[in-house]
Amino acid sequence: MHHVVIDRWSRRASLIHAREPRIKLIALAIFLISVATTPGASAAAASGYLAVLIAAILLSGLPLGGVLARAAAVLPFSAAFAVVSWLSGDTQRAAALIGKSYLSAVAVLLVVATTPLERFVRAMEALGTPRLVALVVLFLYRYLFVISEQAQHMRVAAACRAPRRTRLSGGIGFRAAAGAVGVLFARSYARAEGIHRSMFARGFEGRFPTVALDPPRLPDFLFLLLAAALTLAVRIGVRIG
Amino acid sequence: MHIPDGFLSTPVWAALDLAAVTSVVSLARSTQREIDSSRIPALGVMGAFVFAAQMINFPVGFGTSGHLLGSALLVVTLGPAASAVVMTSILVVQALIFQDGGVLALGANVFNMAVAGVLAAYLPYRIWSAGAFRNMAIFLGGFLSVMSVAALAVAELLVSGIRMGTPVLGVSFGLFFVNALLEGAITIAVVKSLESMRPDWVRAPDSSGRTVLASLAAAAILLAVFGVLFASADPDGLEKLAERAGISGHARNLIVAPLADYELQGAGWAWIRKAGAGLVGVAILTVAVLLLGRLIARRKDA
Repeated sequence: MHHVVIDRWSRRASLIHAREPRIKLIALAIFLISVATTPGASAAAASGYLAVLIAAILLSGLPLGGVLARAAAVLPFSAAFAVVSWLSGDTQRAAALIGKSYLSAVAVLLVVATTPLERFVRAMEALGTPRLVALVVLFLYRYLFVISEQAQHMRVAAACRAPRRTRLSGGIGFRAAAGAVGVLFARSYARAEGIHRSMFARGFEGRFPTVALDPPRLPDFLFLLLAAALTLAVRIGVRIG
Repeated sequence: MHIPDGFLSTPVWAALDLAAVTSVVSLARSTQREIDSSRIPALGVMGAFVFAAQMINFPVGFGTSGHLLGSALLVVTLGPAASAVVMTSILVVQALIFQDGGVLALGANVFNMAVAGVLAAYLPYRIWSAGAFRNMAIFLGGFLSVMSVAALAVAELLVSGIRMGTPVLGVSFGLFFVNALLEGAITIAVVKSLESMRPDWVRAPDSSGRTVLASLAAAAILLAVFGVLFASADPDGLEKLAERAGISGHARNLIVAPLADYELQGAGWAWIRKAGAGLVGVAILTVAVLLLGRLIARRKDA
């Protein structure tokens, strides 16, 4: 499953993995805003941004093709709107939609795939995300693996019991599906109660006793400087060139 | 409708990021007042549940199927403020891990789905959950949550200057309408199955302050419906003319002037006007949501 791969990637080691998460978030924001505010659809700008991203992916030691292919998940949606724009005569907009959404997706994926999510969320919290939202994101991520596996088991079980129904709709009858969602809810609820009890017994009071993030060091600032300089060079280069 | 990065114009995503941050901060605060902090893990588990429930297909006929979107079901089981927090967390995970929706556009997606969508799901339930229209209210919550999300997303895209002709808009709204009906039907079916297992999983909202909420509901529905009518009427009426003239001008400019940026100055004013109208709408909705949050918080304190 997609999120399992991303999680494994984020726990490797490299120059990019080692950077301080807040610094990576700020670099990501600079990149995304540059891409979003680049006027028109310049092929030169797109290749410039792509070159910056590819250099970062190579530094991170992640499979280049793998990252570029996974980010393509955004393309079906963008392509649909690009076709609509293209049909209404706005070819520039069509190219910009595909280019900008894909470049942004690669950048987000690169940062997420080089930062374990708990560190990423710590950085979000340090930059002002409410603590409750940060906590719920972490718990959601943790139990996403567990509960989606449970849903998968239920789907397989249903397919085994009623193979003929599944051929048509890829699922089960409407009321049976509602029952399945209900059962999944009940199991999730029971699990949540169990988690609540065991965490409560261990003294959870709505806060994780986490180690504070280390302050960024010199290599982190150098990374930010380099990333920002390259991104802005492409962004400003568009205006001049 | 998860809007990716690169679709919204800068004023639109920036304004919606701001609106989403202020509403989520206030909703998170009222949730923290409402729930015992040791129950926070349960909110995360419920978020994971919504994710996983989307893997279960509901057959619609003709070989196609749909799935639960979830805001109405969350509202009925967790209450509005906690649902908004859970929806926000779902959208964060979708944007970060699954590239489903952008990061700069996260504010827009949070505003559409976690704030406006949850509000649209909550209002009918809040108003009619006590009486004979209870089932209708749950159905309507599911229906309205999908319709308002779709309407807002389309309006934001139009305000950002993405052109969608009348046929495209018509077909998409047809699809949204079917999806909304489906969400209503799924929500009510799942609520029935939950109630047959354990009735106390489905929360009944308090029924004080009815008139305020009724007027808020009317305002929200009006905004959702008429916002889109305005947004879709505008490009079809005014801009189609400019567009027709613009296409030929565009072709000429490509040959004559390399400064493509300046060719759209005339159209720029219309764009600013539209963006302004959109932002006023967003401001009104934000104020409405903040007022509602205040109202809920006050009720809980009393």
